Amino acid sequence: MSYLTIVTGLLGLISAFVFFYFLKFKASTKQTQRKDRIRWSKYIPYKNETLVGDTEKESDDAKFKDN
Amino acid sequence: MSKHHALDRFGMSGNPAIRSAAFQERVSANEERMSLEGAVNKTGILLFLTVMAAAVSWNYQGPLMTLVSGIGMFVAFVSTIMTFGFYFFFVGWLVEPRPYNAPRTAPVYAIGMGFFIGLISQQAESLYPGIVIQAVSLTFFVAASLLLAYKTGVIKPNQNFLLMVFAATMGIFLTYLANLIYFAVTGNNFFVLTDNGTMGIVISLFVIGIAALNLVLDFDIIEQADEQGAPKYMEWFGAMALIATLIWLYIEILRLLMKLRSR
Repeated sequence: MSYLTIVTGLLGLISAFVFFYFLKFKASTKQTQRKDRIRWSKYIPYKNETLVGDTEKESDDAKFKDN
Repeated sequence: MSKHHALDRFGMSGNPAIRSAAFQERVSANEERMSLEGAVNKTGILLFLTVMAAAVSWNYQGPLMTLVSGIGMFVAFVSTIMTFGFYFFFVGWLVEPRPYNAPRTAPVYAIGMGFFIGLISQQAESLYPGIVIQAVSLTFFVAASLLLAYKTGVIKPNQNFLLMVFAATMGIFLTYLANLIYFAVTGNNFFVLTDNGTMGIVISLFVIGIAALNLVLDFDIIEQADEQGAPKYMEWFGAMALIATLIWLYIEILRLLMKLRSR
């Protein structure tokens, strides 16, 4: 096994540890308290299916009333 | 304020049934919420399954394993569509995303892709000894670097970032699809994709860059789903997105290293 392979292997082990260790922590407020964040709930329907259906229907009604 | 009036007003109504807080309470009353810790554990489980399947595929090479790897890749592709859906420019969602499928599709995806990457890794290793360790290490190095950049707020993904990364990813996907069709017809690949000259290496670096930026989007999905108290299955969804991007990144780094070694 070459010296380069051993060095990159060690780098990989440390990186994997860092990756799994820091993945558990919440991001800094600089990241989470921005106004221009992507609103993922617009693209991924990750709420309870029936509730999302109900909500969309009702929010359309709300929009109609507002207008 | 965006152009989407209804979306901007979402959760702001006076009706308690559709106020965000009430909505969250109803979700939490029905099911467990996801956590970052859970998403990390699921990512670990999926990575373990991928490595196990890759180890089997690596050790038992032959026509049968080639067939198993091909089936594995097809099953993984179907699992991806069943979970993330399929969006196309100007057409919209051809298949709607179904994140609640993730607890079932994520392990299937991990095992299927594991068989495939085991096969290609073994072939790469037999040509260029030591290349797999280097590719795996560089993959984790890139992932850890971007994770730190994301968590500390150095990289801040916004709507423009999403559009840019999505457009580039779709461009790469369509190029690979066209290459697959070209290969099926002529038996050759696009020269720029396999070229080990400067152009081929620049293209590889570009694809690696886009795959790496996709990781930032995955981190953001997991972070936001956790903040909003998304259902438990989003742990699997986030972990699957992360593993899918890590596998893509690994394959691209492996290709780049092979090009560099063959020069």
